[in-house]
Amino acid sequence: MLQLIDLRRRFGDVVALDGLSFEVPEGRIVGFVGRNGSGKTTTMRITLGVLQADGGEVRWRGAPVDAAVRRRFGYMPEERGLYPKMRLREQLVYLARLRGTPKDVARDRASELLQVLEVIGDPQARMESLSLGNQQRVQLAASLVHAPELLVLDEPFSGLDPVGVDVLAGVLSREARERGVAVVFSSHQLDLVERLCDAVVLVDHGRVVTSGTIEELRAMRARNLWRVEVAGAGAEWWSAVPGVRLDEHRDGEVILELDDAADPQRVLDLARAEGDVRAFGPIEPTLAQLFREVVAG
Amino acid sequence: MSDAATRTTDRGTWLLVARRDFWVRLRERSFLISTLLNMVVISILVLARAYGGAGQGPSFDLGYVGPPPVADGAVALGQQAGVTVHVHELPDEMAAAQALRDGSVDAVVFGDRIVARSSLDPTLGGLIEASSRQVRIDALLDRHGVTAQERADANAGLPVQTIEAPPPPHRSENAEVAFVAVILLYGQLFGYGIWVATGVIEEKASRVVELLLSAIRPKQLLAGKIVGIGILGLGQLIVVATFAIVLALVTGALDVPLSAVGAAALVIGWFILGFAFYASLFAAAGALASRPEELQNVIVPINLIILVSFFISIGALQNPDGRLVTIASLLPMSAPLAMPVRIVLGAAPWWQVLLSLAVIVGSTVVLVPAAARLYIGAILRSGGRVRIRDAWRAAA
Repeated sequence: MLQLIDLRRRFGDVVALDGLSFEVPEGRIVGFVGRNGSGKTTTMRITLGVLQADGGEVRWRGAPVDAAVRRRFGYMPEERGLYPKMRLREQLVYLARLRGTPKDVARDRASELLQVLEVIGDPQARMESLSLGNQQRVQLAASLVHAPELLVLDEPFSGLDPVGVDVLAGVLSREARERGVAVVFSSHQLDLVERLCDAVVLVDHGRVVTSGTIEELRAMRARNLWRVEVAGAGAEWWSAVPGVRLDEHRDGEVILELDDAADPQRVLDLARAEGDVRAFGPIEPTLAQLFREVVAG
Repeated sequence: MSDAATRTTDRGTWLLVARRDFWVRLRERSFLISTLLNMVVISILVLARAYGGAGQGPSFDLGYVGPPPVADGAVALGQQAGVTVHVHELPDEMAAAQALRDGSVDAVVFGDRIVARSSLDPTLGGLIEASSRQVRIDALLDRHGVTAQERADANAGLPVQTIEAPPPPHRSENAEVAFVAVILLYGQLFGYGIWVATGVIEEKASRVVELLLSAIRPKQLLAGKIVGIGILGLGQLIVVATFAIVLALVTGALDVPLSAVGAAALVIGWFILGFAFYASLFAAAGALASRPEELQNVIVPINLIILVSFFISIGALQNPDGRLVTIASLLPMSAPLAMPVRIVLGAAPWWQVLLSLAVIVGSTVVLVPAAARLYIGAILRSGGRVRIRDAWRAAA
């Protein structure tokens, strides 16, 4: 398990991290979500030792992380880049060997990854000859080639086409489920985070605002919204039920917010008394809605 | 889960870096071109010496008809004056005229006459006249019964006193060796220093450095780069120096092959010292830039220092004992160029050589950690040039 404990970091007068803490268990995928400038990249850079924290601690499997431990981490920086003139496979083998993987193992794994990630191009091709999308896939291969125990990916999906997104999502799931890798990635594509992640960490102003599984987040933060569509209903027909409030009026349907005391079944009864009920059901808030809600509030 | 195949220590990682930097550049066309260019320049210098006769005294061909003493005397006198005279016996006047016309001899001695084609070279003329005078005086003395002993006493040269130590032998020949040495050293220190700076900027500009530094420590990256590129420079130097020596021996351009080998060893040794001194500076300068276009700006100060050292060292070829040259050969930034020149010309006393070695090794030991600190402080900062002070503080 990766543990980030009370990380602090300032850049001049700007507080980038203000006591940030969270955990990434092995075999799990954790989504790291927050607005631009909320401290995601700083957190990842500190985890990989590329940046020093002013305070706090990074622990892996219960022990403080040092250079030797970091060799077993995989990293995809926000600022992509590999050697432009180096050949694909040679480059991957080199990066794996820097982290201690023997040459022949590295070569096999590099070839395999180029296939799995569906990189279009000769393994002997130079990096600069690839399209941006393909370079992105090679970049991911570079983070995986030494078979890391922890994967830290900064915006891995940005710049990928839908097929690339699916390939990458598949690879991440497999790494977590089959190899037990702890995966944490940041993304602004919240539908993707929702689909892929076991847990979400929401960060703002350098602190974790909320974290947990999607269900937990919903239970914790979301409002209890119901969508009702009744043909020919009178105005404010729901006001007879205590604890019900109008949230939004869309053409023909209403979104009602129920507080804890309000019983949805009573609302339904009332609606049926009003006319034909065409739709009735809870609205599962998306992560995007939760995000806006949390960040705004 | 831990991968059993993964080694846990990161010692020796710098070797991987060194190997990559070595091979990548070895395969670059610019390396091939610079090697060939070095060889061409060396060939021109060596061949010019072998066939141009530069540095050797003038050389003449002297024919004679009849008895040889005057011509032989001219050869002996020529030797004393550093002039080579080859003699050719000719059967008669016809043959002499023919030899003069086709240029195979510069002049012909006929008993007491000198025949030249259209004019007589004054040096050669002087030698023949002096020789002929000697022959006539000898004949006169013989007739007056002067003994061989008396004649030898009268002919004894004046004792020579000097007010300064004599210059070492072969100085002019050595000056050419030193010239080649300083050209090679300058090109190598400068060229490979630039390669270090370029390599650092490349990694920074392509952003691969962030990935590298998540895997290895900055010092390993720096050390590997410097060693890898340095060994390539050293290898090229050895190839070029070997080529130069072989060429010089084959063409007979150098009479003293041992001094050439010594000079080559000197160049190689001083390249190692100079590169160790300069490479970390070039690396730090490279780290301060963010884009390849900024390379020229960040290396200006280093450029200037090397260039000034180069010109002082070229000046040292004429005057290896001058005060400026002596100082330059003792300062760490100019010693790698100035000191080899003075050593080759035999102008550096042993204690100055030792002092110079101590100074450059000592200052390298101090400089490398400082340059490494600048490198570490600047290498991950993108977006424009990094100021030295900021880099220094960032690595604290």
